[in-house]
Amino acid sequence: MFDPVDPDKLRVALEAICGARRVSLRLLDRSTYARDMWPRLLLARRDGEAPAHLPQAVVWPEHVREVASIVKLARELRVPIIPYGGGSGVCGGAVPLHGGVTIDLKRMRELRSVAGEDLICDVDAGMSGERFERELARRGYTFGNFPSSIYCSTVGGWLATRAAGQLSTKYGKVEDRALGLTAVTGAGEIIETDGPHRALRGPNWNQLLLGSEGTLGVITSARLRVSPAPQLSVYRGFELPDMATGIEALRRVMQRGLRPAVLRLYDELDTFMASLGDKPESNAPTPASAGARAPAPPAEKGALPRWPAAEPPKAEGWMSRLVSLARDDGARKQRLRAAGKAVTRAALAHGSLANRLAGVAANTAHRGCRLVVGLEGSRIRTEVEADLTFAELEAAGAKDRGEAPGLAWLAHRYAVSYRMSGVFRDGAFVDTMEVASSWRRLPDLYAAVRAAISAHAVVMAHLSHAYPDGCSIYFTFAATADGARHAERLYDAIWKDGLAAATRVGGTISHHHGVGILKAPYMAGEHGEAMALFRAAKRALDPDGIMNPGKMGLGAPEAPP
Amino acid sequence: MSPRAAAAAFEAELGRAIDPASVEITGTAFPAYHLSPSSTGEICDVVAACRQHRVPLHPVGLGGRPSHAPEDRPRVLLTTRRLDQVLLLDETSLLVEAQAGLGGLELERALARRGLSLGDYPPAVLASTIGGILAVRTPGKSSARHGFFEDAVVSVSAVLANGRLVHTRMAPRRSTGPDLSRALCGSEGTLGIITSAVLRIHPKPEARFLCAYLLPSVDVAVSAVLLALREEAMPSGMRIYDSEEAAAHFDGLVLPEGQALLVAATAGPTDLAACDRDLLSSAVHAEGGGETDLGLAEAWWRRLHGNEPTLAPAPALQVMARSSKLRGIYAAVRASAQTLGAAARAHLSRFDLDGGVMFFTFTRDGHVLSGLEAGQVLATCAGAADAAGGWLLGARAAKLDSYLLALKRALDPDELMNPGVLG
Repeated sequence: MFDPVDPDKLRVALEAICGARRVSLRLLDRSTYARDMWPRLLLARRDGEAPAHLPQAVVWPEHVREVASIVKLARELRVPIIPYGGGSGVCGGAVPLHGGVTIDLKRMRELRSVAGEDLICDVDAGMSGERFERELARRGYTFGNFPSSIYCSTVGGWLATRAAGQLSTKYGKVEDRALGLTAVTGAGEIIETDGPHRALRGPNWNQLLLGSEGTLGVITSARLRVSPAPQLSVYRGFELPDMATGIEALRRVMQRGLRPAVLRLYDELDTFMASLGDKPESNAPTPASAGARAPAPPAEKGALPRWPAAEPPKAEGWMSRLVSLARDDGARKQRLRAAGKAVTRAALAHGSLANRLAGVAANTAHRGCRLVVGLEGSRIRTEVEADLTFAELEAAGAKDRGEAPGLAWLAHRYAVSYRMSGVFRDGAFVDTMEVASSWRRLPDLYAAVRAAISAHAVVMAHLSHAYPDGCSIYFTFAATADGARHAERLYDAIWKDGLAAATRVGGTISHHHGVGILKAPYMAGEHGEAMALFRAAKRALDPDGIMNPGKMGLGAPEAPP
Repeated sequence: MSPRAAAAAFEAELGRAIDPASVEITGTAFPAYHLSPSSTGEICDVVAACRQHRVPLHPVGLGGRPSHAPEDRPRVLLTTRRLDQVLLLDETSLLVEAQAGLGGLELERALARRGLSLGDYPPAVLASTIGGILAVRTPGKSSARHGFFEDAVVSVSAVLANGRLVHTRMAPRRSTGPDLSRALCGSEGTLGIITSAVLRIHPKPEARFLCAYLLPSVDVAVSAVLLALREEAMPSGMRIYDSEEAAAHFDGLVLPEGQALLVAATAGPTDLAACDRDLLSSAVHAEGGGETDLGLAEAWWRRLHGNEPTLAPAPALQVMARSSKLRGIYAAVRASAQTLGAAARAHLSRFDLDGGVMFFTFTRDGHVLSGLEAGQVLATCAGAADAAGGWLLGARAAKLDSYLLALKRALDPDELMNPGVLG
């Protein structure tokens, strides 16, 4: 395990590296960096409990050399290092399980260069996703990663977790866009992995560091692919009779060699819930009715809106609706139709029953499955691909619902994550489980995971990151229990059963949220004996086991020899 | 234990590990055991035997024996050639699982019978076993439409130095730690022996269009290619020849001095293939070029697919470079050859958004250089290409060697898996 360290000694040593102003041992700072956005931690937090794990110190380096010095110091003192980006992770990856020094990289935040002809850029790991995209847009480029956390996550956090954004079907996940990394290994050395890995011999170090969540080293900057800013974007809504037809339609599009930026297929319940606030005639509010702070398509179509939560009240998500119903909010209740009421009242307390009722209600409403399709890129290719994509979808049984549903999604696409706190405040909890598999296994994956979660919570799903060989499924679940301990037990049961189901049918336990603490117990099932490779990389890059210990199923840190 | 007794003990162990019919022994003082196991189970047992008796194990591809295996100690030379089955064909997900010993061309032929393909990779790239293609990285294995061959890997199965068979799990993408498959790809048998791989495959293209253009110079031709790629054209192949190279490759073709020939193929659904051809064509026109004899593109395509012998000898120097470096490297290598009284001609190919690969041939008085003379020119020109920002064939990220060694030691503490390779 790790040695106890004298706080004064630690402070003096860290201040010698970063200066007094960029080192803190204050309780307030340590409490702030004790957690990320892992919903399980929010349960205890809501009940006013103090964090179980605190870092001993927080530092804000401004240069890779400072990071290297901090890691070397941590090696000497035998204290853990926890890299910290935006703190938006949802798996507890930034929780200092064994104390240590939390390195917040947000002061390393520059877009260093953009090489237009090579379509690459050099960027610091601590740059916020929002600023990164805005800076690129100003120069006429995009990185193409638009997670719903873009306003509160960093480039380094994306790389450390193999993140994906809403347009990943065209641009790929971040691991598809990373050409080189600068990182400080657990040995305290600075390494650079730049170079075209198709030309260099030996293992692909980029692919070993990406997704390592700080367990092998601290990513401090990266060389990333960029694309020219889109000249054209096209959005459209479709409706499919059921999930099976929808899945088949998506597969056909992807295997035709088409690369829409957005292919989001909502299951019956998700479609139904999303439609509860709609006027009967239209499937979604039109952007023209958006509030004054909402982006105004088409001028900002595809670009990053200024405000993540800008949306008209009637486009509220199902989560707030569930909660408002649970509170018996009269004004809102009136806006919901009878089928919706039955579902939502029972939902939070009786997940299993609610799922059955919801299924009946969704089927009765005959909403089918909503599909949002978006294409963007160079003008000519996008036009051709849009025609082919829409034709393929229609051939697969999708009904064209026009531009409005597509634009409505576009206008409100960042809002959903910001509604979580309200759900927690009102006594419930909500989380998302993003699994993936090949197309052949996908129907089984959907059925198995849905059934597993249904036993405990209200669950709905959409497919949103598609590939020629498979797709990811994004389950959203909500439930409630009395008190933090009960809620935690319920929460753990949902994850245990959901991930076991995913593994059983040959899916992966995580498509883009990472592992952290949450999924660490399931890594053995995920990788089997191939974990030997990960453990070997851990020993090679972090010989003393100081990097983000206790995470990712790498086992507890060992005692010093 | 005497060497003879040790050898006898090892041979006895081998006898238990593998069918004796799959073993051939050469050499006397320091025997070389040529093994061709017929199952992954046998490979596991052989690796375990090697570990127990401290005998190094060198994988052998289609080419025969590895040049680096030291002959002053007993050694195992192992081929996976007999593991040559397609284990799974998932036409719903467009995935194939092939054993490592199956030839790339054999697999491509098997897929073709079902209207499928490994992708836009020329036969030369596939003229190896699947295991060999994945274990050894060379810059030619890339296409604008289907990417780098390694990107097709969804999962691999491999025997590690501890004799255990591991499978990396299959998923289109995942966020569960490092991509463990990619630790094994390119590791040249030093971390484990790949026994099978699940690869992404593609439908055979519905349509294919060939086109040929003449451009004022190599630099301009490169600009046209980059412009087309930026406009999101994804041709299945593009190649630029300088005028000397064009003359060597196309018998009797005389281009005006300094001009460049660009040949290309686009493929896919008919509308997309036509779109890509049109995008390339408008890029060429925008850069001041124009169409030329389509027969040149047809001849290029036939040779690329082995239907017609290539006239020119294999190039002496291969350089991979990012887009912005291609023109500078071309100029630098040509200038460098000139200082030695020689000339460099080139074709450029394998273009995608990461850059392209340049293939140089060195001549003096119109004759292709060979032997010592060629060696000197090659060394100087390779230095020039490196200085201009290129990556030479077989380059390594040498600064990471200590970590590679540490990774190897963690997996293979006795350093028996293909020792002497990769530093």
